[in-house]
Amino acid sequence: MEALQTNQLTKTYGKKTVVDSVDLHIPQGSIFGFLGKNGAGKSTLINMVTGLIKPSSGSFEVLGQSGDRLESLQKEIGVLPDYSTFYEDLTAFSHLNYFQKLLKQSLSRQDILRVLTRVGLEDAVHVKVKKFSFGMKKKLGIAQSIIHQPKLLFLDEPTSGVDANAVLNIHSLIKEIAVQGTTIFLTSHNLNEVEKLCDEIAIMNKGSIQTQGTMQQLREQYQQVIIVHIHHRSLSEKEQTQLKNSLTELTADTQIAENTSEITVQSNELIPQVNKKFVQQDIGVFRLEVEEPSLEEIFLNLE
Amino acid sequence: MLTVGFREFKSLFSSIRSIVIIVVLFGVTIGSARLVRQFEAPLQELGLGNDAYAMGLMLLLILAAPLFVTSLSHNIVNKETDTRTIRFLATKTSRSNIILGKFIGSFLFWVVCIAVALLLIIPFSKSFSIVNLVQSIIFVSYFIGLTLFLSTIIPKPSLSMFLGIIISIALPVLGLWNAGTDNLFIKTVGYVTPYFYYMQEESNNYYAYFVAFFPILFILLSVFIFRKRDL
Repeated sequence: MEALQTNQLTKTYGKKTVVDSVDLHIPQGSIFGFLGKNGAGKSTLINMVTGLIKPSSGSFEVLGQSGDRLESLQKEIGVLPDYSTFYEDLTAFSHLNYFQKLLKQSLSRQDILRVLTRVGLEDAVHVKVKKFSFGMKKKLGIAQSIIHQPKLLFLDEPTSGVDANAVLNIHSLIKEIAVQGTTIFLTSHNLNEVEKLCDEIAIMNKGSIQTQGTMQQLREQYQQVIIVHIHHRSLSEKEQTQLKNSLTELTADTQIAENTSEITVQSNELIPQVNKKFVQQDIGVFRLEVEEPSLEEIFLNLE
Repeated sequence: MLTVGFREFKSLFSSIRSIVIIVVLFGVTIGSARLVRQFEAPLQELGLGNDAYAMGLMLLLILAAPLFVTSLSHNIVNKETDTRTIRFLATKTSRSNIILGKFIGSFLFWVVCIAVALLLIIPFSKSFSIVNLVQSIIFVSYFIGLTLFLSTIIPKPSLSMFLGIIISIALPVLGLWNAGTDNLFIKTVGYVTPYFYYMQEESNNYYAYFVAFFPILFILLSVFIFRKRDL
């Protein structure tokens, strides 16, 4: 059973298609990263699969149940919406108490305090939300989404507008929740965050899923060239020329210097052959580093 | 449903507008009861008896209930959609529960207000009329249902307040006009106001209770629309 599966899920507003025939398969227990530029359709997709907006066509299943029966699954799903506003007259504690009652949970005062402490709001438990900063509201949003220990958690931009320490805290919280078996669906503009946290990634562009896979799969799919940095013994000018000539057939671009060389190859398979050329010319190699493309580079290449 | 209702009930009591309305409600009730006491003998001769004490409250409700309810609850649903707090509710409970809870919270607020107003008359009338209480509650529940419906179909609180005020003024006028005209349009509109049924009340006690079907209809329509709405 998959945590989330969408089949040709589409949302149109008038003539504008915001989400276009999206097929997603998210395995249980994974941290799934969902990337895309502003207006790509990420939040609309999340809003559809969490029941906030109705799909124009297509279907989806959440935790093995049809999306039409989403209301019966509310205890199993946690949602941090993209835009979190709260009741100004309520405190952080009152909010969580209200929300846990809506979910028909019977959490004790200590349970609620534990969740607030976990997101870093222990000093604002009885402070009214109207006095909260944007970052504090974001933390409260995360707290309300995890208060009932959901099996599937949707986090729409959980770290945007949050200070650096809080970001680290949220990252560790996400990892901790995932270890407990919760599937996490995370959207973010922070590519490093997605790369660091997620097992699988989908990139959305203009309403469609442009690519989906593990970080390794995406790298292989979108890697155009591989840059190999080789640290070696000191080379004379003559040795440098000889080496450059011997590498011509293997590399697209070669930068040979006295102590370090940068070799650009088309595939991983060529790296041992490059190394062999160094050995054949009796050039001692101290270190060999393969520069892999970051998610950011893959993302930019997709544009 | 009850959680949403209790939150609505509590928040109604905490607003300045509700405090003003409670003060007006209780003030007019006691004031009119004192006035009635001065004319107790002539009113007894007219056969009004102890009912006259509750008449001030009833008159106030008939004329001002639409405005009172509208001013307090015009944004009962659309405030949450406008500020997007509805997203927290709709991912935690069913949409039907949200609508029913909102109605129950507002309904209980008015039950408490009317009951307390009638209790305040007891020192003057030496009696408590359950019939008056029930009929007042049914009358007010018509407007709670209508306001809930307007707040569901109109996305902007400012627009629902504007339309609510217009309707609050138009309905009593049309309802009372209906009693003294043969105009077909006014007569037809009169049937969907509670005033028509309450004015039949003298000849048949049960007419007023028909009004209870209207809030049920408004709730059903609100639930139907709200379930289909993108939030």
